[in-house]
Amino acid sequence: MLRYLARQLVQMAVTVLGIVTVVFFLVRTIPGDPAAYMLGDYATQDSVAALRVQMGLDLPLYVQYLRFLRHAAEGDLGSSVVTGQPALPEALSSLPPSAALAVSGIVIATIIGLPLGVITAVRQGSWTDFAVMIGALLGISFPVFWLGLVGILLLSHDLRLFPALGGSSTDSLAGQLYHLALPALVLGVSVAAYITRLARSAMLEVLNQDFILVARAMGVRERRIVYRLALRNAMVPVLAIIGVTFAWSLGSAILIEAVFSRPGLGSMILKAVFARDYQLVQAGVLILAIAVVLVNTALDLSYAVIDPRRRSQ
Amino acid sequence: MTAQRLSLSRRQLAVMAGRAGAAAVFAAASGRISPARAADSILRIRIGADIGNLDPAHIFQIENQTVAAQIYNGLVKYDQATNKIVPDLATDWTVSDDGTVYTFHLHDGVTWHKDYGPFTADDVKFSIERVLNPATHSPYGGQLGSVKSVETPDRLVARIVLEAPNAGFLHKLTAFNQGWLVSRKALEAIGEQKYALQPVGTGPFAFEKWTPGSEVRLSANKQYFEGAPKVDGLLFRLIADETAAAIALQNGEIDIFFALQQPEVIERLRHADGITVMDRPANHTVNLVLNGADKPLDDVRVRQALLYGINRKAMIDGFFKGTKTPAFSVLTSSFPEFTEQVPQYPFDPAKAKELLSAAGADGFQLDLVTVALSPYDKIVVPIASDLNALGIKTTIKVLERGAYLQARNKGDIPTCITAVVGPPDPDNPILSLFAKKSFPPGLNTAHYTGIEDLLTKLGTTQDTAARTAIYREILAKTMTDVPVIPLYADRLFLAHTKAVQGLVQNSLFTVQAYPVSLGA
Repeated sequence: MLRYLARQLVQMAVTVLGIVTVVFFLVRTIPGDPAAYMLGDYATQDSVAALRVQMGLDLPLYVQYLRFLRHAAEGDLGSSVVTGQPALPEALSSLPPSAALAVSGIVIATIIGLPLGVITAVRQGSWTDFAVMIGALLGISFPVFWLGLVGILLLSHDLRLFPALGGSSTDSLAGQLYHLALPALVLGVSVAAYITRLARSAMLEVLNQDFILVARAMGVRERRIVYRLALRNAMVPVLAIIGVTFAWSLGSAILIEAVFSRPGLGSMILKAVFARDYQLVQAGVLILAIAVVLVNTALDLSYAVIDPRRRSQ
Repeated sequence: MTAQRLSLSRRQLAVMAGRAGAAAVFAAASGRISPARAADSILRIRIGADIGNLDPAHIFQIENQTVAAQIYNGLVKYDQATNKIVPDLATDWTVSDDGTVYTFHLHDGVTWHKDYGPFTADDVKFSIERVLNPATHSPYGGQLGSVKSVETPDRLVARIVLEAPNAGFLHKLTAFNQGWLVSRKALEAIGEQKYALQPVGTGPFAFEKWTPGSEVRLSANKQYFEGAPKVDGLLFRLIADETAAAIALQNGEIDIFFALQQPEVIERLRHADGITVMDRPANHTVNLVLNGADKPLDDVRVRQALLYGINRKAMIDGFFKGTKTPAFSVLTSSFPEFTEQVPQYPFDPAKAKELLSAAGADGFQLDLVTVALSPYDKIVVPIASDLNALGIKTTIKVLERGAYLQARNKGDIPTCITAVVGPPDPDNPILSLFAKKSFPPGLNTAHYTGIEDLLTKLGTTQDTAARTAIYREILAKTMTDVPVIPLYADRLFLAHTKAVQGLVQNSLFTVQAYPVSLGA
């Protein structure tokens, strides 16, 4: 177990270093100058040049990179060029709303998707199966921002059930959850479509295996076959997709964040890219990379819980 | 959003209704929407982009300026309704006969937010010298460039000495950008970098908290020298999308929605119950800048041909649905110097073709370059189609903001679309767009030099009427030489709920919350 964790930790360090390096060079290939952006429309050539020197942008790229690595190792990711505030805390502050949205979205998606997947697999070829699969296809096909806009129009504007905006910092916990409900629902419905389809195919595969046939021949009750034997085996690929989707929604819920005017990691990184705020982009991507690696590690561990055969490995 | 589209979405939604059964249960459990107005009266204002820097020496973009406008004062300010320069922290002022010495008498008993002590003449000296100090890297150094020194003969007297008379100088000191005053004590205690988001002013509201990507909170300054504000605080909500902001306004989730742009949203809110829509001319026109250093745009006949050839009226009536007004020059009707007595160019493709032929420029290639911002990236399309009809081979190039700034600052693009947004100071658009000293990386991408003699004359003229005459001469000259094509005069739209009372719309692209009270 310890060895496993150590290996995972080394892997994580290498992954994060790789990602940060790619991002470091990638953001610097985009045309546009942070110094010019920072000074706005009235900048003079002299002031832009002076600011470039102050920001270290006049140095060769590899020197900037080595500098960045040295500071990053000490936990200093530089300051945002727009706000002048340290980049890491600013980027970190957008993590909680993203995490809240991702977690609640995945929970809703699992609650909707998993039962539907099981039911359709058990009743393969029935009208229920057909209807749910059409629904899932629609869910995958409709872009999430469209679902969000329709959600706002119908549930917020017409029925006045939910607010159209994200929560405010002074809301109570109940108020925060209330503001989270609609965006989480939209994310949940859209992700549920994937989970339904995956759970269905995973269940079908397991249900066709020999040990299920044996169990049936032994007269094990159908309910037990489906929920105890088949579902448990089908959970591994389903968990994998849930993990991947969680990591995905952490950074890529930009569309939902934009539609509902919510803060979040994705929209923060997008804003930073537009402002050529290199430091903030790097901090945001670093947080995202660590989060993804952590989630995957947790998933790997959970397989062992579900599947005893993996415990010895 | 039209009724037809709405009903369509509903029908489509019905398809998903079964699948979203769990959703409905969830919704019902949460109860109905409740406009979360707490016991405190907080005025909630929508901003379309996040703030980043509230330091007057570095501030730009309307969101920053709108928040800063509540926090700071200047020596003088623009009257919100009339744009006249009126006292702010200065009670009165005198100008020496030769026009080089401005003496301001300051309000007594004004204090800085957060216990940074009394406001004194030394803070005025500090604020101005800080913007002028090259180490500050302030883009507004040039605005105060004519200042020779600032003296403080008394705790409440600030004397500004100019290198040479400058009749437009008061405009540079108005409460906007570099005109906003900062506290020496606060800046030295907080530090240059951190100050950007820990601003300290003397204004009606004090800075509380910024939540990145979400909101900005300000609290009422009960000690404000003109009396405490009528609300307890301000909440600026970041809502990027205009349709979402309109729904939030109708739901009562926000109170004021300013800098409204989209014609459809304006139309929708005009017909909404309980919503008031205000509008007035802005201080800027939106201009197609023609680079006179490029061939064949160096020929005045070609530039005039483009002006004749673009159907600006159709753009205003069609694309903007009448929410903008015609531009006669680069000054809008909100300036006292505005005049309609300039050469006019009604849409006339035949005349345009004639001029192009005379210049030997039939069928030349032209890149239309613009930033990827609405509506600029959309209006280039009708412009291109108008110009193509003249036989010009246009290519539309829409660049992301960073890349666009880089290209424009280099100055070698043939065209660009520039709007000089700012205070009602005629020097602002005129010097920025037409002065030789504004060559790239300044905004004079046209490389225009035709009014240098008039600018020199302006610099030595004190009399207001005589100055106005010179400004009008400049406008006529620039509409003859056509270094830029004024496409339309912008108009500012603002919507608020019935609860908002006492709001005065300004022409600065900001909102002043001080006079506002919240009713039931």
